[in-house]
Amino acid sequence: MAPACKRRLSGKALANGSVGVIYQVFENVAEKYDVMNDSMSLGIHRVWKDILVHKMNPSPGTLLVDVAGGTGDIAFRFLNYVRSVRERQLQQKLRHHQNLSWQEISKSYQEEKSNPLGDSQVVVCDINKEMLKAGKQKAQHLGYSEGLSWVLGNAEELPFDDDKFDVYTIAFGIRNVTRIDLALQEAYRVLKPGGRFLCLEFSHVSNPLLSRLYDLYSFQVIPVLGEVIAGDWKSYQYLVESIRRFPPQEELKAMIEDAGFLKVDYQNLNSGIVAIHSGFKL
Amino acid sequence: MLRGCGRGAAAVLRGAAGSRGASGQERGPEPGRPLEPSLLRFLVCPLSKRPLRYEESTNELINEELGIAYPIIDGIPNMIPEAARTTRKRPPAEGSEQP
Repeated sequence: MAPACKRRLSGKALANGSVGVIYQVFENVAEKYDVMNDSMSLGIHRVWKDILVHKMNPSPGTLLVDVAGGTGDIAFRFLNYVRSVRERQLQQKLRHHQNLSWQEISKSYQEEKSNPLGDSQVVVCDINKEMLKAGKQKAQHLGYSEGLSWVLGNAEELPFDDDKFDVYTIAFGIRNVTRIDLALQEAYRVLKPGGRFLCLEFSHVSNPLLSRLYDLYSFQVIPVLGEVIAGDWKSYQYLVESIRRFPPQEELKAMIEDAGFLKVDYQNLNSGIVAIHSGFKL
Repeated sequence: MLRGCGRGAAAVLRGAAGSRGASGQERGPEPGRPLEPSLLRFLVCPLSKRPLRYEESTNELINEELGIAYPIIDGIPNMIPEAARTTRKRPPAEGSEQP
């Protein structure tokens, strides 16, 4: 994917934020997505995503759907997490059984080898072909294959059956959805009863000083980084504006509750630059 | 400048190869990327939420009732309704074979 393939976007079209325009933004940024994330957030986005998966605390056997999960950041962390939990489980099992025969010990090691994820599965769903392609390549590169699948789909109209997943995540994706209410309804639909909704997204900084610094950084530094690293000022200006337009913590919480989720709560990270919203289908 | 052109050309070639693969034809080195079997458990038609049938010959997921087929490109099913193809050129009773 050469820069020649990128299309020039008009500022007005971007401001309107139509679906096609958003698609094009991500088509343009897909190739450099991870690099830009590291540069813009100074690598902190990795910590945010780690916190999300730790908060999820998935046990082996969990079925996760990661929506708008394009390049697979959450999916890979999920797989790493359940793998290490599974390893620990098997080790605990060995430790608690005294007087094991050699046959039983080798059987346990075989178990670990044959089912290292403990039947955990993640489906990555994204509306953008380029993002999924980039994610799939990254997975191959990093050696992820087991328990991972990719689907091209629309968050507002998910191609999944009802009551299917244990956890639904959407990390830095929901602000790009046109009808957030529809996406939340779909999230509710595909989750099993008892399932958990987790949303990691840029949010509202209430501290006025920090808010000013954040604005300065967002509008002065990020588009410049976009131009220097990805050759695309406008897309990154769009991203910054979409963050400003997105509803703040309490408003998003209300929207999640409207979709039917219970025990909805949020956790601010970095004073509200980012927030994790959580809800349950009960 | 020249480097950019070279990359552009490579990208066009790759794109052309990719679209050939999308028609469901089998390419030499890679088998026509089939669908991850575990995915079939979860996938339904995004419009009607009804089950789909996997058609191996065309590498598509078919919704018999609505008569639409979703393509599978590079092993990734494209479940966007706008991208789906209608299968009905003949009356539904005859099934959804390609004309």
